[in-house]
Amino acid sequence: MAVLPPDLDAPGFARFLEELRGAVGADWVWSSEDDLGPYRDSFSPVWDTAEERHASAAVAPAEVEQVQAVVRIASKYSVPLFPISTGKNFGYGGPSPNVTGSVVLDLKRLNRVLEVDDRRNFALVEPGVSYFDLYRHITERGLKVMIDCPDPGWGSPIGNSLERGIGYTMPFFRDHYGASCGMEVVLPNGELMRTGMGALPGAKTWQEYRYGFGPDPAGLFAQGNFGVVTKMGFRLMPMPEHYRTGLITVPRRRDFVKLVDHVNYLSDAGLIGEAVYSSPLAPLMAQPDFLALATKLGGPADGDMDAAASAAGLPSWQVDLQFFGPEATTAASWDYAKDRILSDIPGARALDGDHFPLPATEQQMLNTTQPYRSAIRRFGALGVPSLGMWKIVSDDGHVGFFPVLPRSGEAVFEMQRVLGDALKEFPVRPFFNATTTPLYWHSFAFQMVYAPSVKRSDPDHNAVVHASMKKLVAVAAEHGWGDYRAAPIYQDDVAGTYSFNNHALRRFQEQMKDAIDPEGILAPGRGGVWPRRFRK
Amino acid sequence: MITGLDMDRRNLLKWSAIVPLAAAAPYTALAAVPQGVDALVIDRRHWPAGTPTPLAGLAAPQLFTIDGDVTQLWYQTLDPIWRKPGFVLGGVTGSDALFVLEVLAGDRGRRVTQRRVLDPVVAGLQPVSWIIAPHHPSVKG
Repeated sequence: MAVLPPDLDAPGFARFLEELRGAVGADWVWSSEDDLGPYRDSFSPVWDTAEERHASAAVAPAEVEQVQAVVRIASKYSVPLFPISTGKNFGYGGPSPNVTGSVVLDLKRLNRVLEVDDRRNFALVEPGVSYFDLYRHITERGLKVMIDCPDPGWGSPIGNSLERGIGYTMPFFRDHYGASCGMEVVLPNGELMRTGMGALPGAKTWQEYRYGFGPDPAGLFAQGNFGVVTKMGFRLMPMPEHYRTGLITVPRRRDFVKLVDHVNYLSDAGLIGEAVYSSPLAPLMAQPDFLALATKLGGPADGDMDAAASAAGLPSWQVDLQFFGPEATTAASWDYAKDRILSDIPGARALDGDHFPLPATEQQMLNTTQPYRSAIRRFGALGVPSLGMWKIVSDDGHVGFFPVLPRSGEAVFEMQRVLGDALKEFPVRPFFNATTTPLYWHSFAFQMVYAPSVKRSDPDHNAVVHASMKKLVAVAAEHGWGDYRAAPIYQDDVAGTYSFNNHALRRFQEQMKDAIDPEGILAPGRGGVWPRRFRK
Repeated sequence: MITGLDMDRRNLLKWSAIVPLAAAAPYTALAAVPQGVDALVIDRRHWPAGTPTPLAGLAAPQLFTIDGDVTQLWYQTLDPIWRKPGFVLGGVTGSDALFVLEVLAGDRGRRVTQRRVLDPVVAGLQPVSWIIAPHHPSVKG
């Protein structure tokens, strides 16, 4: 499906492409339908419908100066660019743009690991560097730092952190935007800017002190459209000496409230890595009676859930805890966690997990040495990139809605009930039910997950998925829960829910966009921020 | 875990005829792998557990086996190789593994040039026979 950029005719588009070829080389500009296939959202629920967003071309510069040249050419022709790092944002739109006719600015050729310092524990990379690339750079040089990577790990640290993606190690590192420090950005006028200490010529602290002096604009470039990030720094965890795991179970449904409070303390005190909650009752969802109970309209009574757990001989909840550091410290922290929780929650039990010095062996990475069934995915937990996640992706991928909720057991119960009830009108599996547990990905908030699969061969199914996504965004917002990240086809819906004081935040963002990029050269609509040219 | 073994075309045809994939189509597809393929990827999930795999004693090209997860194949073998020109890769894998390889191949200027969806679907896994070859001028040999 050949498309043109907005407000540009075919001869103008041809001239535009010719200028791009002059800037980056003819081999690195693509505009045929065949060449643009990889820039479609292969997980899209609106695949081959009028709602799908299509790029008109793609361009892959190799140097920052070429990025600047591309931005200036786009500005000359008023063509919107859609920057991507490695384009692996699957479930959230992949590499597809917000505006049909945009030109994908593919930064995969800017793929240099510029610096990794294992004395001051940071990295500086370009956007085309993947987690695999960074991991290889570190391991081949024997550097004593651990990366924190998402699962799968084929994306880029810059792209993932700009999407506010997450990993699975210690709180300070698994919020990838939060662990970033220092950016270099090509602005919509083609000018190059550095944030924080990078703005001070000669400074050696660009990756150590993110703020510099005065207002820090770095946040504008995350889920934003105010610049093209061409370099970015990240804090890295010094390679821990030892890794330890332990499992806590609690018997009753309401015990989850105290369990969460204790784990919050352990996390905020810096004693644990990602805590992985689960319910041993979840496998009972295969039984019709339990399924009916766990998905009961308005939620089940605590006593009924406790009776079901008791009848099955199972605890209601469990949490996998992970400890990083010197061996003695991990042992002491685990002992403390056990004492703290078991002394406060009657019937709570603790199981010692495996522990070992780092780096882990292959069997330890494969998690075959754990004495109990664990929900931890070891590769991610130990900062080793993996592609194994794809084995669990069904059909033609999925979309994702990840509402943010408070770190409290009461909030979890409320979201189970409210979103579970909201989904009942749709023929999808019960993502939200009385056994659903929160994700502890971001350091100081919970999320829950709705990730229905899509099927290109079944448009009716995809229409159900699409409608359910929009409904959940709206229902969640009525209860103060907002999505943290969304595909372009949902970004306006999500941004619209952040509406305090008559959308003051959006109006502020629009004012800034109008001031520095009124023609919408950079990703118009990204994050729900539209320049005047494209506002309806 | 991946396994690299050598195999020539004659042995490939012989081997493909006895791999116990459940239907005729898979080994027909394997037999259709053209000459010039530098290596094959076989997804172990598509033959029954416990079945002996007749892989020993085969000569070039290389054979890699996966269990659906392409991580080690990618990290140890394909990532370095695909940074250089040339190298045609064929395979019979689950569609999930092919999705991952196709995306990674695209990053290195390569395309799926042949794709044949095979029957039957076993345990929810859709086997696909495929070839990935250099496409972009920067990696065409």
